[in-house]
Amino acid sequence: MASPRPCISMHRWEYILRRLAMAALVLVSVSVITFFIARVVPSDPAAAWVGPHPTQEQIAQARQRLGLDRPLYEQYLGYMRDLLRGDLGTSVRSHQPIVADIKAYLPATMELVAVGMVMAVALGIPLGVLSGAHKGSLLDHFTRLFSIAGVSMPTFWLGLLLQLLFFGRLGILPLGSRVSTEVALYHPVAHITGFYLVDTAITGNWVAFKDALLHIILPAFTLGTYAIGLTIRMTRSTMIEVLGEKYILAARVAGIPERVVLFVLALKNAIIPTIIVLGLSFVYSLTGALLVEMIFSWPGLGTYVTQAVISIDFPVIVSVTLVVTVFYVFINLFLDLVQALLDPRVTLQ
Amino acid sequence: MKRERCSSYLAVGLLIVVLFATQCGAPTQPPAPTQAPAVEEKATEAPTEAPVAEATAAPRIFVYAHPTSFPELNPATSYSNDSVIMSNCYEGLTFYNPPGSAEILEPVLATAWETNAEVTEWTFHLREGVTFHDGEPFNAAAVKYSIEKTMELGVGAAYIWAPVEAIEVVDDYTIKFKLSYPAPLDLAASCGYAAWIYSPKAYEENGPDWFNEGHCAGTGPYTIESYERGARLVMARNENYWGGWREGQYDKVVFEIVEDPVVRQQMIEAGTASFTYEPPPDNLPALAARDDLVVYTNPSYQNLLGLLNTRKPPLDNKQVRQALSYSFPYAQFIEGVMTGRATQSYGPVPTGMWGHSEDLFQYTYDLDKAKELLTQAGYPDGGFKLLLTYATGDLDEQQLGELWKAELAKLGIELELQGMNWEAQWDLSKSDPKNAQDVLVMYWWPDYISPYTFLYSMFHSEEEILFNLGYYSNPTYDKLIDDANVLSGSERAQATEMFIQAQEILVDDAVSLFFYDLANTHLARANVKGYVDNPAYPHVVFIYQLTQE
Repeated sequence: MASPRPCISMHRWEYILRRLAMAALVLVSVSVITFFIARVVPSDPAAAWVGPHPTQEQIAQARQRLGLDRPLYEQYLGYMRDLLRGDLGTSVRSHQPIVADIKAYLPATMELVAVGMVMAVALGIPLGVLSGAHKGSLLDHFTRLFSIAGVSMPTFWLGLLLQLLFFGRLGILPLGSRVSTEVALYHPVAHITGFYLVDTAITGNWVAFKDALLHIILPAFTLGTYAIGLTIRMTRSTMIEVLGEKYILAARVAGIPERVVLFVLALKNAIIPTIIVLGLSFVYSLTGALLVEMIFSWPGLGTYVTQAVISIDFPVIVSVTLVVTVFYVFINLFLDLVQALLDPRVTLQ
Repeated sequence: MKRERCSSYLAVGLLIVVLFATQCGAPTQPPAPTQAPAVEEKATEAPTEAPVAEATAAPRIFVYAHPTSFPELNPATSYSNDSVIMSNCYEGLTFYNPPGSAEILEPVLATAWETNAEVTEWTFHLREGVTFHDGEPFNAAAVKYSIEKTMELGVGAAYIWAPVEAIEVVDDYTIKFKLSYPAPLDLAASCGYAAWIYSPKAYEENGPDWFNEGHCAGTGPYTIESYERGARLVMARNENYWGGWREGQYDKVVFEIVEDPVVRQQMIEAGTASFTYEPPPDNLPALAARDDLVVYTNPSYQNLLGLLNTRKPPLDNKQVRQALSYSFPYAQFIEGVMTGRATQSYGPVPTGMWGHSEDLFQYTYDLDKAKELLTQAGYPDGGFKLLLTYATGDLDEQQLGELWKAELAKLGIELELQGMNWEAQWDLSKSDPKNAQDVLVMYWWPDYISPYTFLYSMFHSEEEILFNLGYYSNPTYDKLIDDANVLSGSERAQATEMFIQAQEILVDDAVSLFFYDLANTHLARANVKGYVDNPAYPHVVFIYQLTQE
């Protein structure tokens, strides 16, 4: 009798391939939809290219230069060909390659989202565990209120409130941007990874590290509140479920310390849904960063796309949509695989 | 599988919704509380007195909290908000003086200039002993290269050089422009876009990307030290600046990109920024009352017009157009909605610019007069419908439309309001005038400072419609402004008279409603001295002119 292992493995490969094919299909569909939306919406990229108050000759020249005089399917094929070569095109407003812009703006967003996620893990999981373990206690009520507020409060409102409190009233945290003007002038951050906390730590620039850390607290917390709230709720409910299991009762009877029961024995089984929620929150935060970055003058993808939307720079809007879709699709795929690996009850069918 | 697919679609949908939601709310001013946030005075010192600055012999730092990023730093093609940067790094041959100055133009890289009788040849004598930031000498060859390169790329405001046929280097410090038709090239040379002179060597060797990465190679008083896209740009003094340096001028300049107007205001209040523009209008009275801040409100060269479709009934009738001009409550709107951020226009040339005249007839709100004119035109009870288009997201324009709609209803005229993005609005207006909008509300602003850019672009006859979006055509008017433009290169006083006459024709023909000339509002720390708003260069601060007290 053959061992079941190769069989599962084959399923897994088949599953991964199928998911990759689906992912490719989603990406192609998104590229088609965004490309054609950009062409259908009344706007003239040629006029945008030459700027306000153009002459007829300038518009005609730009149309030719941008290939807008060619049939639509040819334009799409050209666009796809460039895309496969990693060329996202050129911004019609700044006349610069979009890839270079995205490379410059993406690390700021990723750093912000990553710190937001760290906060979600560091705050959300312990609070969720304690809240679940002490159901009905004052701590539980407080935590539930916090998590509901976190999930439902609009980020732009929360951001402004935090600014008013921590900058306006208390004066202990900065208003926005990644580092203060003084640090930018006298302790400039070397660009290695684009993550300021990492770059300043690598180069031993501790003045800038401290400054960058102070600057990231408010925007990351604002962005992370949704993930924190969701993590608390998910951890709490699965903890309540797990704590009712007989093996927990057995562990307690055996005299295992409560801390170990909660954070090792129970959490191990309660963590999987939380990880999935965190993963989804991560990609959700990429879009949530749009508003947060604007309020906190954070020079990330959100700021970049907001300016593009205001100036109807379609090549940029389409490119950022594609980049975020890529993240969404692949993180989804990754999460499903992780879930299948961690939880034997999940089938790959 | 189904769940994952759904979530992918959800993700895409979500992003699109978010993007469009942002677009709908993509205002010139992001959402802001109507009340001034209660900011505690915690640090009223100027940024230069910050602890870090003190340690390094107190350099003077000017921090400009700027609401938008800088799309393009290439001097040949830049045509946007980046002029606030360019104007401190680069210089043109001439400079347009702020309103109230004795002379319209001032020499910069040219020390003198003259034209021939036909205004088809311009000779500029150039300043000697000037070097570019890269050490290259400034001379006639550099001027020729810069302008020819800008013309060749043909992007942005490059069209200001359209009359130029040939550029001839007479000697190292003399350059001659030969034109294909008469034009005031001295004014074009003062333009805040497309008229910068840059180092040919730097442009040839490094290419446009080098500039966009945050470098400059001009002759200006400041040079770019570092640039982080979307975040900040730092400038340092050009120690070899030909104008020299005097006590109290700023050593460093930082442009901080801050989109939110409330945050910008807070930065100024806390002293972490020295200067900004467009603070939340509702907070202006409170800000103006503070001793440590100064609010500057000055007319801009930007005005709002409501172009009337002169080719479509009933607005092809002059009396109906005049009636409409009498039906808008100008004073009420400017006081109630614009709260002092505007003044009622006198014709299309904005206040403060040469060619502007306050002797021009100004329509006022008079419904009886409007009714009388409508009766004469055969519409005693109105009974017709008009379509007005305006820029989506511009709350001022939207409120203007709503107010006017209520007034027109009193005359029996139904006004339909349609907010559109500019491209859509422009597309509709460039279609057949018979099917286009009746009233098109839009702002106009000049590239180089001449009444001709207003009078030609919006009202000169056009074979193919571009910006004459009221489709006005009057050969007498055309000839008058064309002649005035030729004269504006040599006989500016006479040209001014002719431009004013031309505006009298427009006002009498009521080709447009001239709603208001917009004011610019700037907010600065009180220790910033020497600031003069120059509407020819919108929101530009010539930091070299400033000192810190």
